[in-house]
Amino acid sequence: MILSFIGVVLLIVGAVCDIFGAIGMHRFGNFYLRLHAATVGTVGGKFYPFLGAGLIALDRGLLPVAGVAFLSAFTLLITTSVGSHALAYAAERAGVVKIEHNELGGDWDD
Amino acid sequence: MFEHTIPVLIALYGIAGVVYFIRVLLGPTVLDSILAGDCVSLDVALIALLVAVYYENNLLAGGAFFLVLWAFVLDVFASKYLVKGEVGV
Repeated sequence: MILSFIGVVLLIVGAVCDIFGAIGMHRFGNFYLRLHAATVGTVGGKFYPFLGAGLIALDRGLLPVAGVAFLSAFTLLITTSVGSHALAYAAERAGVVKIEHNELGGDWDD
Repeated sequence: MFEHTIPVLIALYGIAGVVYFIRVLLGPTVLDSILAGDCVSLDVALIALLVAVYYENNLLAGGAFFLVLWAFVLDVFASKYLVKGEVGV
Protein backbone atom coordinates (compact mmCIF):
# COMPACT_ATOMS: atom_id res chain seq x y z
CA MET A 1 0.00 0.00 0.00
CA ILE A 2 2.67 2.49 1.03
CA LEU A 3 4.86 1.38 -1.85
CA SER A 4 2.04 2.02 -4.33
CA PHE A 5 1.46 5.46 -2.84
CA ILE A 6 5.15 6.39 -3.16
CA GLY A 7 5.16 4.98 -6.71
CA VAL A 8 2.15 7.03 -7.77
CA VAL A 9 3.70 10.19 -6.30
CA LEU A 10 6.91 9.52 -8.24
CA LEU A 11 4.89 8.90 -11.41
CA ILE A 12 2.99 12.18 -11.01
CA VAL A 13 6.20 14.15 -10.39
CA GLY A 14 7.72 12.48 -13.42
CA ALA A 15 4.73 13.32 -15.60
CA VAL A 16 5.02 17.00 -14.64
CA CYS A 17 8.77 17.00 -15.41
CA ASP A 18 8.15 15.20 -18.69
CA ILE A 19 5.53 17.68 -19.86
CA PHE A 20 7.79 20.60 -18.87
CA GLY A 21 10.62 19.01 -20.82
CA ALA A 22 8.39 18.52 -23.85
CA ILE A 23 7.30 22.16 -23.74
CA GLY A 24 10.92 23.25 -23.33
CA MET A 25 11.92 21.33 -26.43
CA HIS A 26 9.70 23.70 -28.39
CA ARG A 27 10.28 26.91 -26.47
CA PHE A 28 14.07 26.90 -26.37
CA GLY A 29 15.96 28.40 -29.24
CA ASN A 30 19.06 26.37 -30.02
CA PHE A 31 20.39 22.87 -29.62
CA TYR A 32 22.21 23.27 -26.32
CA LEU A 33 19.14 24.70 -24.60
CA ARG A 34 17.04 21.87 -25.99
CA LEU A 35 19.63 19.49 -24.55
CA HIS A 36 18.88 20.93 -21.12
CA ALA A 37 15.14 20.47 -21.66
CA ALA A 38 15.66 16.90 -22.82
CA THR A 39 17.75 16.15 -19.74
CA VAL A 40 14.99 17.50 -17.49
CA GLY A 41 12.52 15.34 -19.37
CA THR A 42 14.77 12.31 -19.18
CA VAL A 43 16.18 12.26 -15.66
CA GLY A 44 13.25 13.92 -13.92
CA GLY A 45 10.63 12.63 -16.27
CA LYS A 46 11.77 9.06 -16.86
CA PHE A 47 14.12 7.98 -14.07
CA TYR A 48 11.73 8.69 -11.22
CA PRO A 49 8.70 7.19 -13.03
CA PHE A 50 10.69 4.02 -13.70
CA LEU A 51 11.35 3.78 -9.97
CA GLY A 52 7.69 4.50 -9.28
CA ALA A 53 6.49 1.82 -11.69
CA GLY A 54 8.94 -0.59 -10.07
CA LEU A 55 7.58 0.17 -6.61
CA ILE A 56 3.99 -0.33 -7.77
CA ALA A 57 4.95 -3.63 -9.41
CA LEU A 58 6.72 -4.67 -6.22
CA ASP A 59 3.61 -3.93 -4.21
CA ARG A 60 1.46 -6.02 -6.55
CA GLY A 61 3.83 -8.96 -6.50
CA LEU A 62 5.02 -8.56 -10.08
CA LEU A 63 8.65 -9.27 -9.41
CA PRO A 64 9.85 -9.55 -13.08
CA VAL A 65 8.27 -6.20 -13.92
CA ALA A 66 9.85 -4.63 -10.85
CA GLY A 67 13.23 -6.05 -11.82
CA VAL A 68 12.98 -4.68 -15.34
CA ALA A 69 11.87 -1.30 -13.99
CA PHE A 70 14.74 -0.94 -11.51
CA LEU A 71 17.29 -2.20 -14.01
CA SER A 72 15.98 0.23 -16.64
CA ALA A 73 16.13 3.10 -14.16
CA PHE A 74 19.73 2.31 -13.24
CA THR A 75 20.73 1.96 -16.89
CA LEU A 76 18.94 5.17 -17.77
CA LEU A 77 20.75 7.09 -15.05
CA ILE A 78 24.13 6.06 -16.47
CA THR A 79 23.47 6.16 -20.20
CA THR A 80 21.58 9.46 -20.36
CA SER A 81 24.54 11.52 -19.22
CA VAL A 82 26.90 9.67 -21.56
CA GLY A 83 24.57 10.15 -24.51
CA SER A 84 24.04 13.83 -23.73
CA HIS A 85 27.78 14.42 -23.58
CA ALA A 86 28.27 12.57 -26.86
CA LEU A 87 25.60 14.63 -28.58
CA ALA A 88 26.98 17.90 -27.21
CA TYR A 89 30.49 16.96 -28.36
CA ALA A 90 29.18 16.08 -31.82
CA ALA A 91 27.25 19.34 -32.00
CA GLU A 92 30.36 21.32 -31.10
CA ARG A 93 32.45 19.46 -33.67
CA ALA A 94 29.81 19.81 -36.36
CA GLY A 95 29.36 23.52 -35.62
CA VAL A 96 25.63 23.33 -35.12
CA VAL A 97 25.41 26.39 -32.87
CA LYS A 98 27.67 29.38 -33.21
CA ILE A 99 28.89 30.56 -29.79
CA GLU A 100 28.78 34.35 -29.77
CA HIS A 101 30.41 35.03 -26.42
CA ASN A 102 32.45 32.63 -24.33
CA GLU A 103 31.72 33.36 -20.68
CA LEU A 104 34.50 31.19 -19.33
CA GLY A 105 37.24 32.02 -21.75
CA GLY A 106 37.02 35.79 -21.64
CA ASP A 107 36.50 38.08 -24.60
CA TRP A 108 37.56 37.05 -28.05
CA ASP A 109 39.66 40.20 -28.39
CA ASP A 110 42.00 39.24 -25.54
CA MET B 1 -6.97 1.79 -5.14
CA PHE B 2 -4.86 3.34 -7.87
CA GLU B 3 -6.59 1.58 -10.76
CA HIS B 4 -7.81 4.80 -12.31
CA THR B 5 -4.56 6.70 -11.82
CA ILE B 6 -2.39 4.58 -14.10
CA PRO B 7 -4.47 5.14 -17.31
CA VAL B 8 -4.40 8.90 -16.66
CA LEU B 9 -0.63 8.79 -16.25
CA ILE B 10 -0.30 6.72 -19.42
CA ALA B 11 -2.30 9.41 -21.24
CA LEU B 12 -0.07 12.18 -19.83
CA TYR B 13 3.10 10.41 -20.90
CA GLY B 14 1.52 9.78 -24.30
CA ILE B 15 0.77 13.48 -24.73
CA ALA B 16 4.36 14.34 -23.82
CA GLY B 17 5.58 11.75 -26.31
CA VAL B 18 3.47 13.27 -29.06
CA VAL B 19 4.89 16.73 -28.30
CA TYR B 20 8.41 15.29 -28.44
CA PHE B 21 7.57 13.61 -31.75
CA ILE B 22 6.58 16.95 -33.27
CA ARG B 23 10.16 18.07 -32.55
CA VAL B 24 11.42 14.90 -34.26
CA LEU B 25 9.61 16.00 -37.40
CA LEU B 26 10.37 19.71 -37.10
CA GLY B 27 13.96 19.54 -35.84
CA PRO B 28 16.10 22.00 -37.74
CA THR B 29 19.14 19.74 -37.45
CA VAL B 30 19.65 16.01 -37.23
CA LEU B 31 20.84 16.37 -33.63
CA ASP B 32 17.55 17.92 -32.54
CA SER B 33 15.65 15.04 -34.11
CA ILE B 34 17.93 12.50 -32.43
CA LEU B 35 17.48 14.18 -29.05
CA ALA B 36 13.71 14.20 -29.37
CA GLY B 37 13.77 10.63 -30.66
CA ASP B 38 15.54 9.55 -27.48
CA CYS B 39 12.80 11.09 -25.38
CA VAL B 40 10.10 9.43 -27.50
CA SER B 41 11.67 6.00 -27.15
CA LEU B 42 12.03 6.40 -23.39
CA ASP B 43 8.40 7.53 -23.20
CA VAL B 44 7.32 4.41 -25.08
CA ALA B 45 9.40 2.28 -22.71
CA LEU B 46 7.73 3.84 -19.69
CA ILE B 47 4.26 3.42 -21.21
CA ALA B 48 5.01 -0.26 -21.92
CA LEU B 49 6.07 -0.70 -18.30
CA LEU B 50 2.92 1.01 -17.02
CA VAL B 51 0.75 -1.15 -19.28
CA ALA B 52 2.51 -4.21 -17.87
CA VAL B 53 1.75 -3.02 -14.34
CA TYR B 54 -1.86 -2.20 -15.21
CA TYR B 55 -2.64 -5.57 -16.79
CA GLU B 56 -0.36 -7.41 -14.35
CA ASN B 57 1.43 -9.20 -17.18
CA ASN B 58 5.13 -9.88 -16.87
CA LEU B 59 5.77 -10.42 -20.57
CA LEU B 60 4.79 -6.90 -21.55
CA ALA B 61 7.70 -5.42 -19.60
CA GLY B 62 10.41 -7.15 -21.60
CA GLY B 63 10.60 -4.56 -24.34
CA ALA B 64 11.12 -1.61 -22.03
CA PHE B 65 14.74 -2.38 -21.23
CA PHE B 66 15.64 -2.75 -24.89
CA LEU B 67 14.07 0.61 -25.68
CA VAL B 68 16.25 2.22 -23.00
CA LEU B 69 19.34 0.63 -24.52
CA TRP B 70 18.22 1.65 -28.00
CA ALA B 71 18.12 5.32 -26.99
CA PHE B 72 21.71 5.12 -25.75
CA VAL B 73 22.95 3.32 -28.85
CA LEU B 74 21.23 5.87 -31.07
CA ASP B 75 23.00 8.72 -29.25
CA VAL B 76 26.45 7.19 -29.38
CA PHE B 77 26.40 6.00 -32.97
CA ALA B 78 24.88 9.18 -34.35
CA SER B 79 27.51 11.22 -32.50
CA LYS B 80 30.26 8.97 -33.80
CA TYR B 81 29.28 9.39 -37.42
CA LEU B 82 28.68 13.12 -37.00
CA VAL B 83 32.15 13.63 -35.52
CA LYS B 84 33.76 11.58 -38.26
CA GLY B 85 31.95 13.66 -40.84
CA GLU B 86 30.31 10.74 -42.57
CA VAL B 87 26.84 12.16 -41.93
CA GLY B 88 26.01 15.82 -42.37
CA VAL B 89 24.10 17.96 -39.91
